[in-house]
Amino acid sequence: MKKTTLRKSMGITAFLLSGVVLTACGGNNGNSNGESTAESNNGSSGDQEEVTVRLTGWQSSPTEQRYFEETIDAFEEANPHINVEVDTIADQYMDVLRTRLIGGEAADVFFLDAFEAPGLIEAGVVEPLDDYVTDEFNIDDFEDPLIDAFRREDQLWGLPKDTSTLALFYNKEHFEEAGIESPPETWEEMEETAEELTTGDRYGFGIVTDLARLHFIAESQGGEVAVDNQANFTDPDVINALQPIIDMRNEKEIGASPADVGAEWGGDMFGTERASMIIEGNWMIEFMEDAFPEVDYGVVEIPKIEEERSTMAYTVSYSMNAASEKKEEAWQLIEFLTGEEGMETWTSSGLALPSRQSVAESLDYTDDEIYAPFMEGASYATVWADDTNLPIINSNFENQFSSAFLGDQSLEEAMEEAERTANNEIQD
Amino acid sequence: MAKWKLSKSQLRDAGQGYLFMSPTIFTIVVFLIGPIIFALYLAFNNVNLLGDTSFDFVGFDNFTRMATDDRAIIALQNTAFYVVIVVPTQTILALVLAATLNAGMKGEKWFRVIYFLPTLTSSAVLVMIFMWMYRPDGLINTILGSVGLPTYNWMNDPSVALISIMIMNIWATAPMFMVIYLAALQDISESLYEAAELDGASAVQKFWYVTVPLLRPVTGFVVIIGVIGTFQLFDQSYMFSGGSGGPNNSTLTVVLLIYQYAFSNNQMGYAAALAVSLALIILVATLIQRKLQKDEQVY
Repeated sequence: MKKTTLRKSMGITAFLLSGVVLTACGGNNGNSNGESTAESNNGSSGDQEEVTVRLTGWQSSPTEQRYFEETIDAFEEANPHINVEVDTIADQYMDVLRTRLIGGEAADVFFLDAFEAPGLIEAGVVEPLDDYVTDEFNIDDFEDPLIDAFRREDQLWGLPKDTSTLALFYNKEHFEEAGIESPPETWEEMEETAEELTTGDRYGFGIVTDLARLHFIAESQGGEVAVDNQANFTDPDVINALQPIIDMRNEKEIGASPADVGAEWGGDMFGTERASMIIEGNWMIEFMEDAFPEVDYGVVEIPKIEEERSTMAYTVSYSMNAASEKKEEAWQLIEFLTGEEGMETWTSSGLALPSRQSVAESLDYTDDEIYAPFMEGASYATVWADDTNLPIINSNFENQFSSAFLGDQSLEEAMEEAERTANNEIQD
Repeated sequence: MAKWKLSKSQLRDAGQGYLFMSPTIFTIVVFLIGPIIFALYLAFNNVNLLGDTSFDFVGFDNFTRMATDDRAIIALQNTAFYVVIVVPTQTILALVLAATLNAGMKGEKWFRVIYFLPTLTSSAVLVMIFMWMYRPDGLINTILGSVGLPTYNWMNDPSVALISIMIMNIWATAPMFMVIYLAALQDISESLYEAAELDGASAVQKFWYVTVPLLRPVTGFVVIIGVIGTFQLFDQSYMFSGGSGGPNNSTLTVVLLIYQYAFSNNQMGYAAALAVSLALIILVATLIQRKLQKDEQVY
């Protein structure tokens, strides 16, 4: 008993310290909206007792914040006795969430990335949702790969709030200048196009070196990045599949990473026209509109690798804290946010794609020139999720791959090193 | 102990004393001794805090694991390299700055204020400013390029990233030690310099044979504090790499690794073992340093 309290107080101290670091870094936190909405609903509680449900997530832009608040407002209107207190974690979301869970201070409902979900599920801090789901909720409406990312041991641990996929962005002006008629269809064509597009001050192709982005390429020749929850980078099929990415930078000199040109991320690199093509997600659309409205670009599905279409899908769920004291109300919130009405309000922003088929149909993204490639991708995408150790596998890959990418060592050496350090770190 | 026989009044005196000290004792036990003992306890356990809390005693497993942990070795190498470069550089720089400020120049007070400013700035703000200046198209590369010097990818080239942090930190911490040296310089009696002058010593000789030896105790303090501070490098490398220690582990320091194991990987026991080892390393480094200094003492 003593142990637990001491442990808790240490956890809280540590959390406070990390909070100081984080506020210092980020300098912004959008947790101002909780209070105001809470007050506005005070009068209309009716005969039911007023309950406050806390919701933790992240917001990456003011537009996202606005749509999110709109969705929450709609829920509070439909459920006058429930106040939703939203607090946003600006940076290092998982570290903060984990620390709060340890300290018993976590929110009732939180965002949970499919990539991190197995770790938390395994720890037993997430509430299984099977018993809450009703027939009316129509759970079969969700895209299977997305909801399966949150199934484990035959139970459901979260409902996907939305999804994002990757597609190829290309700069139409650059294509015209180089006299290229149509965007590439296959990876080989893309390399040729990139070569034609590369000029003195810009690269044909922008390369993002995260495993989250490269995963589908790494597995395009039949290799697997992780086997039995252990890193498996040295599989020759994985190395052969990744080698072209490295060659594009070091041999052919037709591609570079955002860091190479001093850009913050892919969007920055593409927007400032230092890359003519880049593989990015649907979050780029809003960014381009805000930051670089003068850039004329097009979007197509990612060129076929080995005759096959492939892309990545990312998804985040609403999950419930197993230690929540307001599970009933917490479920009502999740039910609304992932239900048809809530999801439609939220995904009408275009910042993320709906994870329900019915919403995708009613929003009619499939006819939109810009959105269609992302919607198409959703049908064949690989979901960025694996097992409990994916975060460790991922960080070790990134560390070593980037050095191979910079030409400091061969890809084989880098992957051997990455596999060894990852599996060493995994231990238990 | 049993030989002592305390009288009643002595006991009451002692009781009173401890009563008066109790607030301090309480604070020290809760915030200092308690956590240290708990960290030691954690270091010998396999700890899971998330979900079902569990503590499994594993003996020295956490410590033997370090020998095979490549990242721990890289972190230690990076940190040692950082200490070896930063501590001497910032100490010499601080001494030179203090000596020039003590020479009686015009506008000396203003220079003191200006030199001291970096120390007053929050390290997070400093890092943000430097990261902006370090961009490939940023201020530093622009200046280097305009005078025909080579430019670097300061943040993303693994061979340069740690050096970028060193430059930033030397610039930020040297002024603090400069103030300590300044205070010590005021204590050196003017008569010593006069005597040296009568013997025909030049300015350089006065500095080398009068100032430096007399500052030796202060130098010892500055070096020890410097060693302790640099071994604990965390915030700068955390912000520089977004918490990853990259590119290619080049900015991974021991404390950053401890943070990663404790908060990202949920391996609190191993993290505590690393922390205990770091404390031991710092202790040994400090002891060696003190020993060396004692041997050299000439006055």
